[in-house]
Amino acid sequence: MASEPAGRQDRPDIVVTGLGVISPAGIGAVPLWEAMAAGKTFFDTGGHDGPAPALPWPSASVDTTEITWPAGRDWANAGKYANQSARWAVAVALQALGQAGIDGDTEDVRGGTVMAVGSSSDELSDVIPQLASRFRHDRRPLAKFLHDEVPDYSYIRGIPSQLGQFVSMASGFRGSNVAAYGEAAAGGAGALALAVRLLESGELDRVLVVGVAPPLTITAMAAFDQDEPLGTRATAGAGPFDAERSGTLLGQGAAAVLLERAEAARGTALARLAGCEVLVAADVMASAEQVVGAVLADADTTPTAWWAHGAGSARLDTAETRAVLPRVDGLPVTGSKGTIGNAFECSALIDTALVVESLARGELPPVGLLRRPDPGLGGLDPVMGEARPLGPAPSALVTAFNQGRHSTAAGALVITTAHEDSTDDGKART
Amino acid sequence: MSDDIVITGMGVITPIGGDVETFWSANLEGRSGIVREERMDTTGLPCGWTAGLIPEDIKAKVAAEYGAPDRSWGDSLMLASVDQALGDARLDELPAQDGPAALVYARVWPGPTGSFPQDYVTHMEDLAERYDRIGNEPAAVLEHLRGKHLPPETRDLSSYPSEIAERLGTAVIPVRLEATCSGGLRAIAEAARLLRSGRAQYAVVSASVSRNTPYVLSQYGQLMALSRWKGDPAQASMPFDKRRTGMVINESAGALVLETAEHAARRGMTQSYAVIGGWGLAVDTRHMTAPSVDMIERVMRTALDEAGAHPDDVDTVNAHGTSTRLNDVTEARALHELFGERMADLDVSAVKSLTGHGSAASGVVETAVAALTMCRGVIPPVTTTTEPDPACAVRTSLTPVRRPVRTVLKNSFGFGGQYASMLFRRPATPRPAPEPV
Repeated sequence: MASEPAGRQDRPDIVVTGLGVISPAGIGAVPLWEAMAAGKTFFDTGGHDGPAPALPWPSASVDTTEITWPAGRDWANAGKYANQSARWAVAVALQALGQAGIDGDTEDVRGGTVMAVGSSSDELSDVIPQLASRFRHDRRPLAKFLHDEVPDYSYIRGIPSQLGQFVSMASGFRGSNVAAYGEAAAGGAGALALAVRLLESGELDRVLVVGVAPPLTITAMAAFDQDEPLGTRATAGAGPFDAERSGTLLGQGAAAVLLERAEAARGTALARLAGCEVLVAADVMASAEQVVGAVLADADTTPTAWWAHGAGSARLDTAETRAVLPRVDGLPVTGSKGTIGNAFECSALIDTALVVESLARGELPPVGLLRRPDPGLGGLDPVMGEARPLGPAPSALVTAFNQGRHSTAAGALVITTAHEDSTDDGKART
Repeated sequence: MSDDIVITGMGVITPIGGDVETFWSANLEGRSGIVREERMDTTGLPCGWTAGLIPEDIKAKVAAEYGAPDRSWGDSLMLASVDQALGDARLDELPAQDGPAALVYARVWPGPTGSFPQDYVTHMEDLAERYDRIGNEPAAVLEHLRGKHLPPETRDLSSYPSEIAERLGTAVIPVRLEATCSGGLRAIAEAARLLRSGRAQYAVVSASVSRNTPYVLSQYGQLMALSRWKGDPAQASMPFDKRRTGMVINESAGALVLETAEHAARRGMTQSYAVIGGWGLAVDTRHMTAPSVDMIERVMRTALDEAGAHPDDVDTVNAHGTSTRLNDVTEARALHELFGERMADLDVSAVKSLTGHGSAASGVVETAVAALTMCRGVIPPVTTTTEPDPACAVRTSLTPVRRPVRTVLKNSFGFGGQYASMLFRRPATPRPAPEPV
């Protein structure tokens, strides 16, 4: 990192004390991990809130019927400012808080929230075209027309950090709230890195990091596809690192990771975050090389597994493998995107939850839809078919990237067991 | 060696100046950039007749130098202000680097609907044509879109961080953040924290806003937050004045270079604009849009505590001062809680009186004013506040107040319960005013 960074020994231990996941596999990390282990995938071309069958891109969709908004007058009042992403954010936040035994009833100025929420979903995507058509025959000026006709509070509902205010309500954390997203986010790794800095500086004792990837609009999907073709089939051989992969498969989801300073933790440590950073260099491969090198040097442990981003695009899989493999040669590798697709803003948070679950179980689940590893990716050792034992004192490198050619951000994390002399006390199960 | 974090470079693009010195002069002269918004028909709206607009000649210059097909106008503004700041900090003279820099930024853009009124009108015409022809049928909409160039705003992703990395010749630790209107000050805090951690030794902070469209106007109108002043547009934003009726949105951008004092000294930058003293951040969940006295007081006290300062050490306050009925009286009450009897003599400035409100960009742009207030020993006037509100009882001046200023307390707040405050200290060797050309 910098020439004279604070030494690892001078930094406080950061532990994971709570996790929440909403994925196409259901609520929590356990059903998702077990689905991966069983070789299930969740892609469809319709159903739930996913795209209509006529669209060419399979998507792994979340079943929204399982997601509820909290009861009570305050929550009812706040509900008018909450969009679908807010409801998902609160749901995963409550999972993580519940696991840490935090009920949120007490104000905690030593706690904060960091949101990883994109703006490529839009509740008005179907409304505005109708209004545009109506406006052609309306006598009011456009601004007045929109003032009268656009649903109330929709502007506020679209503000990324607005979701964090709801998470603050749920957690009682009043220290601060910020959204870290977009081209600097690397799938939520940027939000985790920001949270780590808040904790290491002593400014806060705990930070709830929440990411949400709601269904994309058709316009956003078309724009991503225009930038770099998305995957058009979700059958065996379409998964990450496969010789026949054809592009990133779309996913949806939400995840929450509660990070605490170990010395002040209110929850039980499920795992330790030994290193985390995001870097942007001239191109994505240079970013990945530098950030992985920096994070491995910063962490005081050598990982025994690699949880890859595994976008499933020829370009990004190649860049990731070439940049990372020389530093983790011989490690087993897996990834979640062949099972649930790429939940853009929160993919690194979902992967963090899956890694914690893997460390607790001592097994690494296989890569979904991977049939024949691409020989062009060098000596990659992907987990295939069934889960693979991790051995004693497991730890994992997690890598994360943005989607698209214009975003060169790369993120890396190192996660270890909370106590490196044990592999499974069962507490990580979410 | 001091472990201070210092500001060594600044750049601005604002309605009252496209560079720091012009902007500063306008602040001292009380020259407003708020004009009547004549690009949109605002008939029937309960607000929105005025806006802080970047002058056309400055816009044309930015567009000529920074405009590119796949670059948003917000990014063009940020790059223009960043290049000013990098040049000001002489970072272009930096030799080979031994670690990453940091880049913390906030971009307030309206999405794929453009930054200007005509952009939005065109957008609506396109949507209407599409809807009348094919409705919202997904496959047909997709087919329609496939023949069009979809700008990067559609993905809400841009190459801005890699462009900055290329300019700096080193990788950057990037943070794109959003904390509503406190985002600019929050960005400075995030950059300072990164530098204190040792993960980077210098940082670029930037923010931009440009979203004067009928849609944004209509939504702020729904919130009843915008000025309803119908007199002289230059008078529309009048923080702490008893006639104030709401805020005026603007388009603007600002950039700062922060670095450790050690890093600055090592490359011969012994002068700086300001030292980051301390900051306070908080989130309130009691209301989505309304500010509260106790939260403002909390973040100001935290900023002072973190800086090891007492309220008596504060020489002046650079207020959030939006000109809304509720914000100004709430901020004023918090100031009274913190400063007590000192309020009678405590000079308060409010940059939005001349520029309008630049959302997240305001925290960066107004920090430039806070820094120059200390370097030049002049507190800018609030020339639009000619009838101070006794309910606020904030001491503003119609003329510049010239006296030594050691510290400035700067506030920024925002929707969603966002609160930020930061104490700046005058550096031991402040940057002098440039020699007249």
